[in-house]
Amino acid sequence: MLPPETSRLPERVELTSVPFFPQTAYQCGPAALATMLNQRGVVTSPGLLKDRVFIPEREGSLQVEMVATARAHDMLVYPLPPRLEALLAEVAAGNPVLVLQNLAFDWYPRWHFAVVVGYDQRERTLILRSGTTRRWQSDFTSFDSTWARGGRWAVLTLPADKLPAQPELRPWLKAASDLEETGHIEAAQRAYRTATLHWPEESLGWFALANSHYARGDTREAETALRKSLAQEPDFAVGWFNLSQVLGERGCQQSAKQALVCAQRLAPDEKRFAVSAGQALVASGQCALPPACPLAN
Amino acid sequence: MYKHSIFRRLAVALAAFHILMVVQVPMANAAMIGTAEVLQQQQQQVDRQQLMSMLDDQGVQEKLQSMGVERSQVEQRINSLTGAELAQFNQQLQDAPAGSGVVGIIVLFLVIFIITDLLCATNIFSFVKCINR
Repeated sequence: MLPPETSRLPERVELTSVPFFPQTAYQCGPAALATMLNQRGVVTSPGLLKDRVFIPEREGSLQVEMVATARAHDMLVYPLPPRLEALLAEVAAGNPVLVLQNLAFDWYPRWHFAVVVGYDQRERTLILRSGTTRRWQSDFTSFDSTWARGGRWAVLTLPADKLPAQPELRPWLKAASDLEETGHIEAAQRAYRTATLHWPEESLGWFALANSHYARGDTREAETALRKSLAQEPDFAVGWFNLSQVLGERGCQQSAKQALVCAQRLAPDEKRFAVSAGQALVASGQCALPPACPLAN
Repeated sequence: MYKHSIFRRLAVALAAFHILMVVQVPMANAAMIGTAEVLQQQQQQVDRQQLMSMLDDQGVQEKLQSMGVERSQVEQRINSLTGAELAQFNQQLQDAPAGSGVVGIIVLFLVIFIITDLLCATNIFSFVKCINR
């Protein structure tokens, strides 16, 4: 069931310091989420979270509410690939994993949220904070079948400056962007900055960082980040377009026009690029020329 | 007195709202393209490439050939899948039991889609002639 690279992980790990909140009634959602958040230093309790994630009529919680509530605490919700070894790798790196299980049948589901806090590769068992049990032990096979019936849903809740053990650029940026779209601008920006530190060669991270600077009204920083983005990927048309908008707003009409022409050349079919460069708010004395367009005349 | 304080609060809220609007105005000038949109577009490209790369598999090619389906037709069809359809297809591939091999999975899904197309239940492959029409 586990690929050979898992043998590089420690044979057994248990994150004993992860707190435990025993669930009351059907409230495994608030309990599991409180476990996840407290581990990251967010002081909360199932009682406080209950109103946000527990739906009395359904006697349970929905994944979306769990995710939204974690975000409301400035946490980045990072989805893991649906493989057991991904869970083990994160636990080995000190990250507890929130999982959704279906403890009954596909046709009569009994959904359950729990937190994976340890494993033993020799015994082939997992240790979970689950329900009213602090150390619920489950062997790999039976866990996997309950987990598979839950769609192998597993997430980490991470502070914006902490990457998972096996980080991937796009899921990270997507998680940060979701944070941004739900109004957590500052945390999202920190997450984008984390991305540019870890993947400085990826244009997309710089692009996202630029947009978040722009959203906060910092056109100078936005311009700098966009230039870095284009340095990594000179034919990134959307990057050129956004640069033209930022330059225009900064009062650099000449440079803005050049950047816009470059965007139009790179993506001639994109209708939104058929506009004029952004309007100047203030005339700026400090205008740098845009980088060289890869598609020159 | 109670009413008075409500109006006062309302006035404060309105004033705050106005200030926000004024601050927002400079943003409206430019038409920046957002991060979420670019991420979504790029994800679709990744999904598409992932699906396309499966057609490189020798076994998949042989199977498709034996079914009388041209690779170019499948490629064409993959290119015209919407983002949502692509995501759905890839999700199903991901959920498929491990160990059954890429050939089995892709052919299984291709066959399912082709058959459901034949029965007019879906309209995934444009080259499949729906038997009711």
